Amino acid sequence: MTVSRATPLTDVVSAEALTLPPGGSARIALGRAPDAVVAPSSVEEIVELLAWAQAAAVGVIPVGTGAHVGDRRPERPYIALSAARLRGVQIYEPADLTLTAGAGTPLTELAVVAGEHRQWLPFDPLDAPNRTLGGLTSAGVTGPLWAGYGHVRNQVLGMTVVCGDGRTLRLGGRVVKNVAGFDLIKPMVGSRGRLAVVTSVTVRLFPMPALDRVLVLEAGEPAALVPAARAVATAPTLPASIVLSFSPGAASLLVRLHGALDTVEADQRMLEAHAGVSFSVRDGPEAEVLLATTRDAGADAEVLFQTSALPSELGALLDMMRGALVGVDSVVVADVAEGSARVGLTGAGPSDVVHAVRVGAEGLGGTVAVDRCPFDASPALLSTSLSPAAREFGDGLKLLFDPGGVLL
Amino acid sequence: MSQLIPSVPSALVRRLSAIVGAKHVITDPDRLLVYESDGLTAYRIPPRAVVLPGSTDEVARVVEALHGEGIGVVPRGAGTGLSGGALATDNGVVLGTARMNRILDIDPENRLARLQPGVINAHLTEATSPHGLYYAPDPSSQSTCTLGGNVAENSGGPHCLKYGVTSRYVTGLTVVLAGGRVVQLGGATGTRHGSLDLVGLFVGSEGCFGIATEIEVRLLPIAQGVRTLLGIFDTMEDAGRAVTAIMASGLMPAAMEIVDQATILALEASVFAAGYPVDAGAALVVEFDGTEAGLEADADRAEECCIAAGAREVRRATEPEHRAALWTARKKAFGAMGRIAPDLLVQDATVPRTKLPEVLARIAQIGESYDLKIANVFHAGDGNLHPNLLFDRQDTDELDRVKRASNEIMQLCVDVGGTITGEHGVGIDKRDYMPLVHNETELEMLRSVKRLFDPEGLFNPGKVLPSRTSSASELQAGVIS
Repeated sequence: MTVSRATPLTDVVSAEALTLPPGGSARIALGRAPDAVVAPSSVEEIVELLAWAQAAAVGVIPVGTGAHVGDRRPERPYIALSAARLRGVQIYEPADLTLTAGAGTPLTELAVVAGEHRQWLPFDPLDAPNRTLGGLTSAGVTGPLWAGYGHVRNQVLGMTVVCGDGRTLRLGGRVVKNVAGFDLIKPMVGSRGRLAVVTSVTVRLFPMPALDRVLVLEAGEPAALVPAARAVATAPTLPASIVLSFSPGAASLLVRLHGALDTVEADQRMLEAHAGVSFSVRDGPEAEVLLATTRDAGADAEVLFQTSALPSELGALLDMMRGALVGVDSVVVADVAEGSARVGLTGAGPSDVVHAVRVGAEGLGGTVAVDRCPFDASPALLSTSLSPAAREFGDGLKLLFDPGGVLL
Repeated sequence: MSQLIPSVPSALVRRLSAIVGAKHVITDPDRLLVYESDGLTAYRIPPRAVVLPGSTDEVARVVEALHGEGIGVVPRGAGTGLSGGALATDNGVVLGTARMNRILDIDPENRLARLQPGVINAHLTEATSPHGLYYAPDPSSQSTCTLGGNVAENSGGPHCLKYGVTSRYVTGLTVVLAGGRVVQLGGATGTRHGSLDLVGLFVGSEGCFGIATEIEVRLLPIAQGVRTLLGIFDTMEDAGRAVTAIMASGLMPAAMEIVDQATILALEASVFAAGYPVDAGAALVVEFDGTEAGLEADADRAEECCIAAGAREVRRATEPEHRAALWTARKKAFGAMGRIAPDLLVQDATVPRTKLPEVLARIAQIGESYDLKIANVFHAGDGNLHPNLLFDRQDTDELDRVKRASNEIMQLCVDVGGTITGEHGVGIDKRDYMPLVHNETELEMLRSVKRLFDPEGLFNPGKVLPSRTSSASELQAGVIS
């Protein structure tokens, strides 16, 4: 079908794919709601839609659930391209520990399917239950479990994507090692839908650990936990994750250990000896609740941003943030092994706070990137400090994948 | 060959000598022979010159000088690659990293190291082990291969089953791009939020985008304990079933490697003999590492899987020396093949793990149908096969059969959902197989990405992409399969 500026959108997508007016899309972008939310059910429909958008000079923002893309400010009308109908497991061979699913498949659905074979996707990003496989890979967010299992970027084996101009590409494959050509999966993971629309993803799964134990240390102030956190991060073992979180008046350190009971208990004894502390222990449902609460802290925050520095700067980074956050309703969740922290703010003065943290983080050799801010926030809040090379080659890749700039 | 390859103009030799010192510019044909092939000796093309810079600045100036003359630059580490990736195709000049072999910084607090590309893989772990840390990717050639080569190839190794390949560990790069431009990519302090993963894209680009001159890598704590088992099987199929059973049982071995009977015979007749039984159809090495307390139970469960799959015997490497011998033998298997035939073509296809028994049986049939010796040694846990096709390149008929068998094996692996190369890279060896796994739209995208970094096509020309300006005629001037 040939589309032109005059072709109505309803001629391009089926009625069931179209939602007008959009619902639940307030966070998709800043300053402007989508003109429509379209949920194609096939690659062909996506190709048609992109061609229509190009002809009509309408932008497209690909979304999973649409809850985590509030970091851009479109300057023209746009459509939210939902992956909701690209849903379902396509190939799953448990003995291969690999799974291929549509981009719109919720992580919760994958957890059920893989869980039947005692396998799982070891990722725990913020608000994981409200993410899709395509959204996860587009965002490139892993969560603190990267320490034990690697980042999402390392576990995505293959993707099918539709470029902005409608070209369909299969990247990677279904096998765990693959160097047949340049690794285009790497820039695609974390590109937040700006290069192409992800339609399906193949990921590596892992066997579920026999025991998932959480070691807990609590204090009134984060500074009291930093020595133990750093001791755990430099101990001669590799916990699945190490998280230090705090909100005004309360701080906790969570160390997650995976393995057989003997292994986990030996690791716990070693970490306690190394850090000179005695942890309290959470197993089973109690551990699950604690982990989920920490994982999702800040999910509803009005402002959400990430800071990152070297892990050895953790104490200085948290001190600096604590100073910047005085009097602000906030939550900070630090990934101790990575040296990064997620900050969620509720209420007043986000620009000032973000600016103060940015200056402080850069003083420590680190960075700040804003994931979400109020609908009317200033463009300066979203600025990122990319190097000239990162900007140049990032722009170059954008032009290769989306020459018409249809993906916002 | 020397008549076919133009020498480097003397003015340019003088300019290069002024940059790196005259003794680090090699133009003597006899000395150039060292650089005529990499680990895949079936391909041989002597370069017109080799330049050995000692710093990022020297690399940049050498690249500027060569690109200014329209001459291609062929980056080369230790020359252990197995895809012809370091061959001086298209009249390129080899830029060797041998002199850039310093570890610049070890940061135990952050578990990071920064180093030059000529550092040998195993030397990094030797240097970091006093801090209780090591570098995880361990290609079989780790005692000689360089980190720069590992970055170019996105190298794997036996223990990548549990720990992943090179790209998981590279956090930042200093690279020299076309014309000698020096650029920083990534870094552990993380500009990853908001930027595309250019480090991940550069790793595995086989020298086609530029050359890494400083590499920042993540280190891991050395595991407290190790258990190594050797399962002895009458047939390869049984060994393959044991691998599937172990993975399906929920265990996470650090490594699972299989050697077949032909490889065992070669190994046990060599200086690397480690006690693999010569009458076995296949031997499976399974290794667990981690906290000492749980290892014995893991090893017991793996042993049960092996026995259930038909192992006639399962041995434990109880002494460190025995474990070391098992691994040395495994990692030197390619070298030991020299006892069977003067040349070998090692393939690197990867298949879904569950397809291993079927694919191995078909490879044996293909070997028989072409009357070829094929020895298998491979990363079974990853489904990464290394069928070694053994031949004598003086025998043109055998060479032709090797080529045809190789094509059939490659097609077979792709047909079952696999890929043409798991860790050795495409280089020139698998360039013509790329259309098996990429359609023309995808190949054109790969070409476009190369042009983004290397607009004139002057970094490792003629590699990876079956380009429209193929250097096939030049390759045929050399000795190729």
